[in-house]
Amino acid sequence: MIRVGTLFWLVLVSATGFAMFGVKYQVQGLEDELARTKRATAAEEHEIRVLGAEWAYLTRPEMLEAMNRRFLSLSPISTKQLRTSVTDIPMRPPPAPPEEAVVVAAAEQAPPSAVPSESEGVPTNAPTPPPAAAVFEPPRTQSALRVMPALLEKPAGAQQFAGTAPVKAPVKAAAPRRAKSLDDLIAQIMASR
Amino acid sequence: MVAAQPFHDNPCRPRHFKPPPCAPVVPDGPARKALEGCRARLFLTSVLFACVFAVVGLRIVEIVVFEGGSAQSHMPRFRIPAPPVPARADIVDRNGKLLATTLDSPSVYANPKQILDPADATRKLVKAFPSLNSDEIYAKLTSGKSFVYIKRHLTPREQYEVNQLGIAGVQFQHEERRVYPDGKLTAHVVGYTGIDNSGFAGVERGLDDALKERRDPLQLSLDLRIQYVLREELQRVIDDFTAKGAAGLIMDVNTGEVLAMVSLPDFDPNHPGALDPDHPGLSFADRMFNRDTLGVYELGSIFKIFTVAMAVDYGTSTLTSTYDASHPIHIGRFSIGDYHGKHRVLSVPEILMYSSNIGAAKMAMAAGGQRQREFLSRLGLLNAPKIEVSEVGSPHFPGKWRDVNVMTIAFGHGISVTPLSFARGAAALVNGGILRPATLVKQPPGYAPQGQQVISAKTSEQMRKLMRLVVEHGTGTMAAAPGYVVGGKTGTADKVSGRHYAETRLLSSFVGVFPITDPKYLTLIMVDEPHPNKQSHGYATGGWTAAPATSRVIQRIAPLLGVEPVDEASPEVQRALMVESLQGKKIEAY
Repeated sequence: MIRVGTLFWLVLVSATGFAMFGVKYQVQGLEDELARTKRATAAEEHEIRVLGAEWAYLTRPEMLEAMNRRFLSLSPISTKQLRTSVTDIPMRPPPAPPEEAVVVAAAEQAPPSAVPSESEGVPTNAPTPPPAAAVFEPPRTQSALRVMPALLEKPAGAQQFAGTAPVKAPVKAAAPRRAKSLDDLIAQIMASR
Repeated sequence: MVAAQPFHDNPCRPRHFKPPPCAPVVPDGPARKALEGCRARLFLTSVLFACVFAVVGLRIVEIVVFEGGSAQSHMPRFRIPAPPVPARADIVDRNGKLLATTLDSPSVYANPKQILDPADATRKLVKAFPSLNSDEIYAKLTSGKSFVYIKRHLTPREQYEVNQLGIAGVQFQHEERRVYPDGKLTAHVVGYTGIDNSGFAGVERGLDDALKERRDPLQLSLDLRIQYVLREELQRVIDDFTAKGAAGLIMDVNTGEVLAMVSLPDFDPNHPGALDPDHPGLSFADRMFNRDTLGVYELGSIFKIFTVAMAVDYGTSTLTSTYDASHPIHIGRFSIGDYHGKHRVLSVPEILMYSSNIGAAKMAMAAGGQRQREFLSRLGLLNAPKIEVSEVGSPHFPGKWRDVNVMTIAFGHGISVTPLSFARGAAALVNGGILRPATLVKQPPGYAPQGQQVISAKTSEQMRKLMRLVVEHGTGTMAAAPGYVVGGKTGTADKVSGRHYAETRLLSSFVGVFPITDPKYLTLIMVDEPHPNKQSHGYATGGWTAAPATSRVIQRIAPLLGVEPVDEASPEVQRALMVESLQGKKIEAY
């Protein structure tokens, strides 16, 4: 009997011993990990500070001006370029007459350039979109309808062009395609609005 | 178990003694059993030990052969602790752009007692830092001390190189270093710190304690973009007119916040003591001198706005009052004449428009010296300005306010104030008459610090109209910036040279306010000793130097500040700026 008891206690002692050591090492490991993480965080924070300083150095006005001169040639905004009131922006041209009148109206109007709200007041330094993108330009003027006979096949679409929100139908009609360039993509996004 | 004694081979053993049975004799029965059990236990134990040694051996092989350096990761507790959080807060501009930050930059030091081969160590260190002197280093390494600095403030790359040298006894000390990414641009405002990171100048010194205590960045009222525009235009004026220096500041008239403050020539706070290749002849003290807050100047005619405001506010003159400016005034050994002489009777608006010294002197005399002194004191011009930078200059003014002083002070001579004090007072003249403290710390949006009403709102309105006249028809026409309705006043002072005024050494200035219909910002540009050039037709006055610079500055910064341009010819603007006393009178073009 006494041997069973001894064995029991022996097992218990060794089990506790192992458990204790196990826990001890686990805790030590966790502490190490904590210390490691803290150090890594501090190092990362320091890295961020260095990068922040570097960013501030690289974006200082002097540098930006030199870059602008080299790549963009932007100049300060002049008073003429500023429109401070909504009323200064020209209104959208009046809604077009129904489809029968479109051809007549188009004949009377000047060719495609008639987008008054865009050509005036807003300084644009961005390059003009390539001709391929013009297909996806929302047809805002009647003259634009003439260059897009394919889109006119849907009578409902034609009806909508005359309204104030003429952009949705043509996009549905055209199959979405992969943008060739950034300008192309912007044109597509504008068209889908 | 009884140990087997080797008696049998003992030659001295007595004959009668019979040795007991021992190991070589293989016994039978229980003894044999016990012996076998013993062997089994021995075997088991040795196997166990062999296993453990094998594990240890394998582990050694694993560590040495396969893992290499990664085994180090098991002893992180003994490594150097992580660098602490910087002890000094960052400084940013009003848009959050970094102006000053603190970066770790360890210093390398040596313990000469631990250095085994000083000659070899010296050779290696000098190879790593070519700037070091090998004799000096060798002397340091053989000094027998226990701490000598080799080099302070290393870059991360240099630290890596020193680590690669692997010299025993050479160690790093954690240190921090203040870095100013924008360099010269904000030098006088932000200031700089010494090698142990305590503020030596500017905001770094003025708010040293606050910067040491706080963790989050300190946000200044400065706008880096505007600061840049101002500095560039000031530099242009200096180049155009080969001037000695220039100072400029831009202030929000309604809050007292300083958006830009530039003083040229300047210095690089990253290397404060270093010589500037652009100004080889100038000492560091010259370049560190902040003309905006520390320099006191006799500002000249721009002071006339205070004279007119005083006379109008006290009621001793009205806009219809007239003063005879046809002859110079002689008082004592002085003679007061007009630079832009009209030689006739001038009304108050004309005195300001054509900058008549005689008229201003007579206006001041009509008000009296006591009122003049009281008024200037009320505007804070007789005290050193209060601002967050440590360098502030006290004004110089006569102790006894005699008549001659009254007259000269009326047109800005005989009293020296800092440009900052002047700007603060001038802001009060146009913002409805409220004097607010000037500050370099960003105020919360929509908040204006408590001010003090120094002149009536009506006087302030009249001052705005008069200052507009100066730009529209007077001496300051070159300050006009179409659309932004600039108002202002030119100033050209002769600098004191010894006991005399030197007519060739000028201090030309322009104070501008825009839009004058609803003042938002004030600009003050001061050019020190400009020289006439061909474009200015031989002039180096405020109207030809500081005024055009003001115009350029305003045209560039107004869109950044969100000031809406208006049509200056529109009836509303014209009506708002109408000076009744001049109606129906023909205004002479200046």
